[in-house]
Amino acid sequence: MSNSLAANANIALYASMIVYTLAMLAFTWHLAARAPKVAESKVAAEASVEERELVAAGAGAPVPVERRPSSPYAAGSAFEESLRSRQRGSIALMLTYLATALLVVSVAMRGIAVSRPPWGNMFEFATAAAAAVGVAYSALARRNRWEWLGVFIVTPILLVLGLSLTVLYTEAGELMPALKSYWLGIHVSVAFLAVAFFTLAFAIGVLYLVRLRREEKPPANPGVLESLPSAAALERTAYSLNMVGFILWTFTLIAGAIWAKQAWGAYWQWDPKEVWTFVIWTVYAAYMHARATAGVDPRKSMYIALAGYVAVIINFTLVNLVSTFVGMHNYSGMS
Amino acid sequence: MATDAPADARVKQRKKGKGEPRRPEPALPELGPLGLLRWGWRQLTSMRTALFLLLLLSVAAVPGSIFPQRNIDAGRVADYIAQNPTTSPWLDRLGFFDVYASVWFSAIYLLLFISLVGCIVPRTRVHLAALRARPPKAPARLHRLDEHAEVTTSLSPDEVLEVARGALRRKRFRIHAHDGVSLSGESGYLRESGNLLFHLALTGIIVGMAVGHVFGWRGDIILSEGDKFASSAGTYNTISPGPWVDTETLPPFVLSLDKLDVDFNETPGRGFGQPRLFDAQTRLQRDPESAASRETVSVNHPIAVDGADIFLLGNGYTPVVTVRDAKGTVLYREATPFLPQDGNYRSVGVIKVPSAAPKQLGFTGFFLPTAEPTFANGPASVFPDAKNPELALSVWEGNLFPGGAPQSVYTLNTDEMKQVTKADGSPALIRLKPGQTYQLPGDRGSITFDSVKRFAGLSVRTDPGAPISLASALLATLGLILGLTIKRRRVFVRVRPAAVGDPSAPAATVVTIGGLSKDSDPGLAAIVTGIATAIDGATTNAEPDHPAERTES
Ligand code: HEM
Repeated sequence: MSNSLAANANIALYASMIVYTLAMLAFTWHLAARAPKVAESKVAAEASVEERELVAAGAGAPVPVERRPSSPYAAGSAFEESLRSRQRGSIALMLTYLATALLVVSVAMRGIAVSRPPWGNMFEFATAAAAAVGVAYSALARRNRWEWLGVFIVTPILLVLGLSLTVLYTEAGELMPALKSYWLGIHVSVAFLAVAFFTLAFAIGVLYLVRLRREEKPPANPGVLESLPSAAALERTAYSLNMVGFILWTFTLIAGAIWAKQAWGAYWQWDPKEVWTFVIWTVYAAYMHARATAGVDPRKSMYIALAGYVAVIINFTLVNLVSTFVGMHNYSGMS
Repeated sequence: MATDAPADARVKQRKKGKGEPRRPEPALPELGPLGLLRWGWRQLTSMRTALFLLLLLSVAAVPGSIFPQRNIDAGRVADYIAQNPTTSPWLDRLGFFDVYASVWFSAIYLLLFISLVGCIVPRTRVHLAALRARPPKAPARLHRLDEHAEVTTSLSPDEVLEVARGALRRKRFRIHAHDGVSLSGESGYLRESGNLLFHLALTGIIVGMAVGHVFGWRGDIILSEGDKFASSAGTYNTISPGPWVDTETLPPFVLSLDKLDVDFNETPGRGFGQPRLFDAQTRLQRDPESAASRETVSVNHPIAVDGADIFLLGNGYTPVVTVRDAKGTVLYREATPFLPQDGNYRSVGVIKVPSAAPKQLGFTGFFLPTAEPTFANGPASVFPDAKNPELALSVWEGNLFPGGAPQSVYTLNTDEMKQVTKADGSPALIRLKPGQTYQLPGDRGSITFDSVKRFAGLSVRTDPGAPISLASALLATLGLILGLTIKRRRVFVRVRPAAVGDPSAPAATVVTIGGLSKDSDPGLAAIVTGIATAIDGATTNAEPDHPAERTES
């Protein structure tokens, strides 16, 4: 166990938080530049034919094909980003990359310091999950032009990091026996990745609901919300991200069951953490179903997905910390 | 296209309605018992019902994480019931302490799985037919489709169709030409195959669980250091065999526990007292005749014997206690397991001395590995390792086994016993450290705390259904990935000669390309334009002077 490395990991963590704070400010600054420009460019941009496709999945080269806009302010077609807004967005993204890199370095140093995957207690879970969200956002943001999403991702990351340092902090230490398994590396890291995708989808899902409302009752003066992609596009993006999250969560569930068999002798025994993992899975499965069922309002499907995310948060907080949920998963490191 | 169960059902219902004679008033159609059944079945196997049941299942699972569950910790259930005497009988009756075996929880998942099977079977039939079917005829107006493009080229219609064919084939479309001027392509059949595989594999997981329940068994042993255990139906502390398990055929291994290595975190701060290591050093004979091999059983590292696995699931302390009568004759000398109650191993246990005379003696109380010396808040342990071990017991005399009924070795039935008191009438409370002896009041003899050993809580388990469930779960994941990532697409190409006299395209062919996808499909546009580009390319090659003219419309 190397204590100086663990200390350096904490320094990197603080540095990352500072840079994330700057990124958060820059994203806000960027949104401020987006908003007024919409009104000016609304008419002028009507002629613009390029639609920015949101979804990352194999779109190939951008293709100039015109679509029928689904609303007067549909994605891209009604909004041409000003140079100022683009520049600010770029700065915010750069800061996010830097902050995320610092956070990843911090997690990695903690891992080296303790010679194991650095997610063996709640402080480490929270930090690593925040890092996963940062990495997922950083990897997808530029390609999909998600500058508008930044502030809704970076702020929760900061919140989680702040809480994990103040409330959850645990000194670097050795693991309890049940966690000493290579499945810790597999099961938990896939869970983080799933959570990262669910988080992006959640933020976009909430924005979808707000945007949809604005499309149904258009405001007199379009604001920053109208600079976002159309509600339909946001819904599709949220679905794609939830889909990736759901596949990863399915794998998390299976890997967890295999590990439970090794550690506790039974692959499924309805321990509270297992219950909540299952609840999350069924809620997102219901969302997938709702979305594929003819005649179900996409808004209602999205409510189900958002409920799934609430379950993710409960699984991560209450189930770990509240003694009602005592089970075999008592690894918060908080006692 | 993936079938849409409710829509199908609606169509069928409407057709059926048409055939029925019109009634003068809008009375409910008389379905009759068979019709009612069929209606019920259709409701049950509709996707909306599946959606509802899925949501219901997730809600129904939650109480099991809030209320203590018998299958996890029966002791906590008993405590909860004792603390909540008014509500808990109701909760108990409604199954809240056994959620996952309760009628309502089972009903939900059984309905869901009936619905699932009722859904898979017709969908499989439809899908098999779709697999053999040709892509449908190209619609007349391709520019009405989601994705479309138009190209004017100097190539002949046949040449164009040939190029389009090649482009579609490279994208692995199934292609069919219903006539000479169009081409229909379809791809992504694996989507529905994956979807069906996913749903089918879900039933496989349940089958695996059922097999495990019926053919699996588990036996638990508490084994003290230095003790030996010979596996057979009668030797386990508890054994729970599945209904179809022959307990005469359990693996006949012999296991001795030499030593239980433990390590707890002694660094003050958060995590103080947390376990770091549990390793059971054992000697294992796979059958009574074979030689013993040294094996370490530890958490996450079970050892395998004859299709069963031996897990280390718990540990604790077994104080060695000697009870003598007034003359000094040894009545009892045993390592008695005390069961830990908290993270610091405050443990409860019972010592029963049936041979004591004139009345049987029972001792009940606590073992504290690191006793908090003042007992200010009752007997408590402040660290899980045996740093300052102490026994704190009360003494009872009378009839240990009222009615001769069998009872747990960890509880003392005091129905027919009286607490032993000292001369002044106060209850005799015994506090002993290793090596100390306490003289029981009134010439009842003595009790000596000789030493402390550790015990390993071992569990021997088989689950023949687990491989089925695992394979099914992996297949389900595969199906899920296929079903969610593959897009079902149709692409059509239609050619017609350009209007005569169009100066820009002498002897030219106008090509319209249209694409259709069931859901959001950002890749479709690329395929449509890909075909257009391929035609452009072919045109340029054939006739470098007159590149094709594209009008993206
Ligand atoms: C244990 C119960 C079930 C679970 C967990 C479940 C889960 C899922 C999931 C996650 C999907 C989306 C993945 C994909 O498209 O491959 C899906 C799709 C689908 N499910 Fe289920 N399902 C269940 C039961 C049922 C039942 C009972 C039906 C029939 C009524 C059904 C019909 C469908 C259909 C038709 C789709 C395809 C939708 C599409 O075309 O995209 N499912 N299911």
